[in-house]
Amino acid sequence: MSFRARGLALGALAFLLGSDLLGVGLSGVDLSRMAHAYAQPSPLPPYAGAYQPQGVDEIGLWQMMDEDERAIAQSPLVVRDEALNAYVRQVLCDTVGQHRCNSVRIYILQVPVFNATMAPNRTMRVFTGLLLRVRNEAELGAVLAHEFGHFESRHSLNKFKAARSGTDLLAWTAVLGSLAPRYQVARTYQNLQISVLGNLFRFGRDQEREADRLGVAYLNASQLRPQAAAQVWQNLMQEIDASALHRGLKKPRFDTIAFTASHPPEAERAGYLAELADPDGLRRDDGAQRYRATLAPWLGTFLDDQIKLNDFGASEYLIQSLAQEGWTAQLWHYRGELYRMRGNPRDLVNAAQFYGEAVALDAQMADAHRGLGLSLLKTGQPGAGQEALRQYLALKPDAPDARLIGMMIPNQGPGQ
Amino acid sequence: MRTSIFHLLGAFAILALAAGPVCAQERSATRQGFNLPAQSGKKILLLRPTMRVGEQSTGGLFEPNADWTEQARANIGEALDASQRNLGNEIIIAPDAYGEDARALNEHMALFAAVSQAVIQYQFFVGNRLPTKKRDNKADVFDWSLGNSVASLPGADGADYALFIYNRDVYGSTGRKMLQVVGMLAGVGVSSGEHVGYAGLVDLKTGDLLWLNADAQMGGDVREKDGAAKRVRQLLEDFPGSTIAKADVVAASGAGK
Repeated sequence: MSFRARGLALGALAFLLGSDLLGVGLSGVDLSRMAHAYAQPSPLPPYAGAYQPQGVDEIGLWQMMDEDERAIAQSPLVVRDEALNAYVRQVLCDTVGQHRCNSVRIYILQVPVFNATMAPNRTMRVFTGLLLRVRNEAELGAVLAHEFGHFESRHSLNKFKAARSGTDLLAWTAVLGSLAPRYQVARTYQNLQISVLGNLFRFGRDQEREADRLGVAYLNASQLRPQAAAQVWQNLMQEIDASALHRGLKKPRFDTIAFTASHPPEAERAGYLAELADPDGLRRDDGAQRYRATLAPWLGTFLDDQIKLNDFGASEYLIQSLAQEGWTAQLWHYRGELYRMRGNPRDLVNAAQFYGEAVALDAQMADAHRGLGLSLLKTGQPGAGQEALRQYLALKPDAPDARLIGMMIPNQGPGQ
Repeated sequence: MRTSIFHLLGAFAILALAAGPVCAQERSATRQGFNLPAQSGKKILLLRPTMRVGEQSTGGLFEPNADWTEQARANIGEALDASQRNLGNEIIIAPDAYGEDARALNEHMALFAAVSQAVIQYQFFVGNRLPTKKRDNKADVFDWSLGNSVASLPGADGADYALFIYNRDVYGSTGRKMLQVVGMLAGVGVSSGEHVGYAGLVDLKTGDLLWLNADAQMGGDVREKDGAAKRVRQLLEDFPGSTIAKADVVAASGAGK
């Protein structure tokens, strides 16, 4: 009996994994057609206070998430810096309101990916890749408010129930269908399977749209600029374009929906978010200055993680967009690192130039001297290279690679 | 594009309705030279057991059930205590840990899960065994370790061994059972329920894995006291120094399966 009844579990599993933690994914309808459907921001739901789960499914889901939280709270990935945690919490509170944000537990995870998630038990996970990409408090608030919208509308639970009904239907059809093992029956089953799975994915995308509407409604009601919500997706589309361009891939489409897409396409989201934003909010503050100042101590760490993703186009785009506020020694240094890490001979020439700019702005930046020296050594300028490495060792005599670097400099190697 | 959608659906194809014969799914091993005589009065540190108890929906999804999980946690705890007292060992519940201690504990729990999965995958069961581990099986070698950093775990200084327990119980829902019955008529194998568990004993001085028992088809309803006692008997059968005769367990589990 080759009647395939087996398709369900993994499909459902993939679907549910996505639903445990509803993320802001990187997936992407024609906005002119779609936008009018969202012309009204959803009204904010009445705040439920310390909501407690109800019914066996929701209580079970919360308990599973509580177990997960026990583990995540102790994870080495969590950024435990108090100032940064307090700041992200403040941005959430400024967006969704003080009484709503109080019970949320925020875990900042050092993962260089654009994402944030919120679980049904009020644990929010914010990835450092998101913090690197958003440029002001309003943009960060827009993403956090979207996630909070998932929580407040209890999307995980509803998605689980939808998946269960769908797979129940398919299981019965498969078993009953195999009582009549004919070609037409098998074919009908396959069609049903595709429509049920397709519906589940669409269900998830509709939840994302609902969370987007809620998110922008929170922003409209806050003191932050609601137009930032659309800007997040505009920036992301540019980054994805840049990444594809450098890989030589064809230009990504931001207006089509794949069968399994977990989120609406970026262009659609940017379109309706722009339309839903309160026009009077345009003059509001977006907190860009405060954002830059608070994130400054972390920028190096986040850029370092980003560069190691080996996504040249996206990293270059991010550095360039950060540099719109003016090039700093740090940005020059990480641009040099990006090029030196790709490491083609032509890249090393560029890298040496960028490190040179960094050193010119900040002569005390030891790591830039190191990068400069290593790049120059490899491009046939040993004299200048060794000089830069000497500078590095002078500035950072106890560097972990001091002995290694010392071997590249005559008369300074070990034992000489 | 259309074909790729079908490929995708094909890729989804893992079983909701698992047919297939179930092979020998139980196995345990003890580290060579390790011996724990009964009534030796050893202290065993019990780390928070991982418990997942729920229902299996008609389509095969796991439906978590908080109440059952709590009951199972309490019942298993009591049953463990009783069984170790019979062996003359003392069970100490691991103290709550904070800060660095909690992080170290979390890492070691994850490490134990990874090591025991590796044992189960690469040494215990037919299918994906590594050639070297197959040789180990023949030579009766069981050599795995978490490393001696376990000695610094909270509560480790007052105990000799650490006991790790994992339990996942999924009970077939009424819908699933009906599907199974109709499936039998239709000639489609539908499995209902899943009861997987493993338990391991680690030396708190050296970090060596002293004993591991894995069972993918456990008996005993952990939601009830009697069932939990039976589950613990099965989890701890072949426990070094155990006086539970294998025949007892088989007889007891045969009734419940």
